[in-house]
Amino acid sequence: KIDVSTHLVKMSTSITLENTGKSPIKSFLYALEPSLQNYLSIITANVKDKDEKLGVSQTTVASKKDLSFWRIELPSNLEPGKTMTVDVDSSYAHALTPYPAEITQSQKQQVLYNGNVYFFSPYSTKSQTTTVTTTNTAIESYSKSPKPVSQTDRTVTYGPYEQREAFSEAELRVHYENNSPFLTVTNLERIIEVSHWGNIAVEEHISMRHTGALLKGPFSRYDYQRAQDGLSSIKAFKTVLPAAARDVYYRDEIGNISTSNLKEMDDFVELELRPRFPLFGGWKTQYYIGYNVPSYQYLFNKGDNYALKMRFVDHIFDDMVVDQVTVKIILPEGAKNMRLETPYPVTQGENQLHFTYLDTTGRPVIVIHKSNLVEQHIQDFQLHYTFQKLLLLQEPLIVVGAFYLLFLAVIVYVRLDFSITKDEAKESKMRVASLVEEVQSAHDRRSALYQSYDDAINKYKSTKDANTFAATRKKVDADYKSLTQQISDLQTKLKNEGSDLAEKVNELQVSDRQYKDLVALAITLAEKLVSGKINKQQYLDNEKINKTKREDLDSKMEALRSSLA
Amino acid sequence: MLVLSIAAILSFSTRLFSVLRFESVIHEFDPYFNYRTTRYLTEEGFYSFHNWFDDRAWYPLGRIIGGTIYPGLMVTSAVFYHALWFFNITIDIRNVCVFLAPMFSSFTTLVTYWFTKELKDAGAGLVAAAMIAIVPGYISRSVAGSYDNEGIAIFCMLLTYALWIKSVKTGSLFWSCLCALAYFYMVSSWGGYVFLINLIPLHVLALMLTGRFSHRIYVAYSAVYCIGTILSMQISFVGFQPVQSSEHMAALGVFGLCQMHAFIDYVRSKLSVEQFNILFRSIVLMGAVVSLSVAAIGTATGKISPWTGRFYSLLDPSYAKNNIPIIASVSEHQPTTWSSFYFDLQMLTIMFPAGLYFCFNRLTDANIFIIMYGVTSIYFAGVMVRLMLVLAPVMCILSGIGVSSTLNTYMKNLDVSRKDKKTSKKNVDHTYPFKNEVATGVVFLVTAFLITYTFHCTWVTSEAYSSPSIVLSARAGDGGRIIFDDFREAYYWLRHNTPEDAKVMSWWDYGYQITAMANRTILVDNNTWNNTHISRVGQAMASTEDKAYEIMRELDVNYVLVIFGGLTGYSSDDINKFLWMVRIGGSTDRGAHIKEADYYTPQGEFRIDKEGSPTLLNCLMYKMCYYRFGEVYTEGGKPTGYDRVRNAEIGNKNFDLDVLEEAYTTEHWLVRIYKVKDLDNRGA
Repeated sequence: KIDVSTHLVKMSTSITLENTGKSPIKSFLYALEPSLQNYLSIITANVKDKDEKLGVSQTTVASKKDLSFWRIELPSNLEPGKTMTVDVDSSYAHALTPYPAEITQSQKQQVLYNGNVYFFSPYSTKSQTTTVTTTNTAIESYSKSPKPVSQTDRTVTYGPYEQREAFSEAELRVHYENNSPFLTVTNLERIIEVSHWGNIAVEEHISMRHTGALLKGPFSRYDYQRAQDGLSSIKAFKTVLPAAARDVYYRDEIGNISTSNLKEMDDFVELELRPRFPLFGGWKTQYYIGYNVPSYQYLFNKGDNYALKMRFVDHIFDDMVVDQVTVKIILPEGAKNMRLETPYPVTQGENQLHFTYLDTTGRPVIVIHKSNLVEQHIQDFQLHYTFQKLLLLQEPLIVVGAFYLLFLAVIVYVRLDFSITKDEAKESKMRVASLVEEVQSAHDRRSALYQSYDDAINKYKSTKDANTFAATRKKVDADYKSLTQQISDLQTKLKNEGSDLAEKVNELQVSDRQYKDLVALAITLAEKLVSGKINKQQYLDNEKINKTKREDLDSKMEALRSSLA
Repeated sequence: MLVLSIAAILSFSTRLFSVLRFESVIHEFDPYFNYRTTRYLTEEGFYSFHNWFDDRAWYPLGRIIGGTIYPGLMVTSAVFYHALWFFNITIDIRNVCVFLAPMFSSFTTLVTYWFTKELKDAGAGLVAAAMIAIVPGYISRSVAGSYDNEGIAIFCMLLTYALWIKSVKTGSLFWSCLCALAYFYMVSSWGGYVFLINLIPLHVLALMLTGRFSHRIYVAYSAVYCIGTILSMQISFVGFQPVQSSEHMAALGVFGLCQMHAFIDYVRSKLSVEQFNILFRSIVLMGAVVSLSVAAIGTATGKISPWTGRFYSLLDPSYAKNNIPIIASVSEHQPTTWSSFYFDLQMLTIMFPAGLYFCFNRLTDANIFIIMYGVTSIYFAGVMVRLMLVLAPVMCILSGIGVSSTLNTYMKNLDVSRKDKKTSKKNVDHTYPFKNEVATGVVFLVTAFLITYTFHCTWVTSEAYSSPSIVLSARAGDGGRIIFDDFREAYYWLRHNTPEDAKVMSWWDYGYQITAMANRTILVDNNTWNNTHISRVGQAMASTEDKAYEIMRELDVNYVLVIFGGLTGYSSDDINKFLWMVRIGGSTDRGAHIKEADYYTPQGEFRIDKEGSPTLLNCLMYKMCYYRFGEVYTEGGKPTGYDRVRNAEIGNKNFDLDVLEEAYTTEHWLVRIYKVKDLDNRGA
């Protein structure tokens, strides 16, 4: 059975084997047709109605050097005389030739398939039929021999033929209309970046090309829009991404491509991509898409041993053909002992190092190449490696360290004096300023003490408790003395600095002494009043005079204090 | 400090509208060239950049990029890029370019603060910084993605001015040297440095005339001029211009005058008055004669080049219109309208005179400078729309001074009267009734002005200045947004589906974009250095098909690209620019057969419908734009081929192209690309 309805040739052969020999056989050979052997993408085999894949490996036969053979392992030995049915599926890319090779915009695309009517086999064949399925009923021509040949709808049936020799050939030629997208990814670069912080970023750089019949003559947008022709052109295609894909972007070298639609299905995400321009035969384009997936679905670990299980290639469009693929897997910094397992043979390139945010030694990159892939190649690969979990802390620590150093540098810079010459005047000014500040605060505390003198006097007047009063007075006196002493010390210092503010402080001290005298007077008055030496009226009069004086002094001192600054 | 950092952050973020709304792409035309050269610089290194001969542009002439650009912008972003990569911060060079302008505008905010603080005080500085952070006149050139020289040049300019003021104030060599360095940076990044090198001498001259000349100014100017000129000559594009071209002569003259003034001052201090007078007269006479004759000889022998066209058009706005159509054809070089003054500056137009008044009130050396800067730049901005950019900062500074002084005056009144109320009411000033009320009113008024200014600026930024011209968007009938991405569609098509060495002919506006995005060779681009070459392209566009074919064969053109807005209503398309092509095409000898009058109807109208002149209806540009357009229905109720930009049914509908074939037309017909057919195999 040959299906040529898309741009791929899909050949599914159902072979009934019969062991006519004497000994049981374990495997058999499958030969590729000489005309197709260069186009082979994938070949798989399974026993009929069973899913289990059979082992397929390429071998050569000494007598037929120019042919390529595949050895298919049978699940169980085939005893002599027994039969077994095996299905062999193979896909061939680029096996169809557009004919004519150049068409205009409005023409339909026609292709030519050249093959072999007979089953090309190293063994003799007892009975066989071949059917060719085309895209639609518009079949231009097909080879009419060897008979019997019949056509119904979109299938052409050859055979049945009986008793054919091994390697028998007869030309099969079908010329038919095929407007399915002849889209080929000429180069695919798939970058998988694994982060142990729970994310895997995937980015695919795709260059694609329309490999159908070339466009001949002009492209008319008018005809394209009005007449809905350009049947062979590709306007859009659908890409299926994993269900967990987030933050999908679709861009190219010159920016975002705005013509895309994202549909979220239950078990996958469907992305409808429209290239910037419709692709006609021979036209090509380039773009990249990227997305993030959570790592728990793909990354498994046991202790420090990790295993990454992801698709080697992912779906790009239905019936895709990828000529050349490069997969790059970027592991976190410090990953070691990488071991790769793939479902089919690949070529592994040299490992590289990748530097990005906060890297010191670089991240290991595994590079894998493979050519000629189709949809059946969407299979998982496994990558085993070891990674110490403590290394996860490295990057946050770098950030913390950097900020720490920055702050430290600022602290050091602010504290240190980098000037080459000492600016004496400035220094002295600063010293004076700090002295003045001290004077002011001392004076403030002293004013507070005056208040406590008043409080003490009032309390004494009401309680008439001479002992307490004396004690309080003593305490306040001591405080007062030390403060006054402090201020005069500061005054001397100011004088040493040669500041004229010393004068003002001196003035302050003088008024303070007067104030203190007045306070002392107030105390004596109060004592006299308590002991009954003067009557209330006298006391009040004296006290009033005293108080006015005190207030004047107070405001004078206050003015002096503020003039200091 | 806090206000300042908020202003700086604001100035960065307000410019990100376009990135959020569209994506991080480069806008406009020139930035694409800058982007391309920057990419080259980062990939190839400085030396190959310096020696870069670009064969992608000006086919077949080519262009020596290294020697014909101001490399400041590219070097700056390359330095940023490498610094980031050194720390393994893998940011794309495109993103560096996109975000460079907003970053520099936040630096500008800081510099403005410092500058205004030097001029007046910290309060005015803060107001000015906040204003410049959002002034639309500056935002228009520094939104994220407009990766142009002006973006960093304004920063350099203000930095140079601030350092100049500082050095004038202190007279210290240190500041003068820094100023010269800033001037060097300015020279390396923008051709507008000529303004700077004329303004500073002008300031010095003004100071001399007002008798404020002092040793400080002598030191500052001598140092800045000598070091600055020598440094500026290191830029290969500038070369020997600072000592040869007329634009720089003023600086040289003032430098000489400076020396003389200083010398005379010295002599005066040594001699008696009569002796001095005799000496003075003779020296002045001698000096005048000598300098005049030197200038005359220099001009005659070609050592001193005459003024360039753009410079002439600055002094005489009608000059370009009459003589060089290519300068006049750029919309940026048109005189500014009043509405655009208000649009770009809003309340600053009102506060500017107030600021000037306050500056005159307290005349200092620095204030004289800012006054001169304001007055000259307002003249230049009036002549050329583009120079609005130079005006915007000084507007902000002067308005900052104005607003802050006004507020200072009235705030004081406010505070005094309040205190009065609290304590006792005996101090009420009877000479000034309603003091408090007036003060409150003024304060409220100014506040209201500032608030409306903020809203206006935000609105202008988001509506007018944040759309990348490369992606167009329109409102659909249902309120959704339609994005016309036709330019990139076409450029990308060119990039992938034409031969690597294809030569593309288009009008020069699109030159930079085509080289940057499509990576194809073009004939003319936005660096309009060769007038005749552009004129040749204009002739091809304006001729009939046969004539055009000859020109295109001669220029070895493979593809022709035109912009056509007739289907979508995009008004700045090639048909609307066509008259300039005709004018420029006809401005050289070889295009003498192209006369502007032929393209008008007898009534003197430019029409594309049946009434239009037959020359127009048969020229190449017309045919390329309207090829097969005659069959399209664009609007309901109108006949086919109805042009939505010019609101007319096209006059010439059914025609075929003989020498060209349609190669590609984008989805909305914005860009149409034609392939030039080969010569027939057989002679027809």
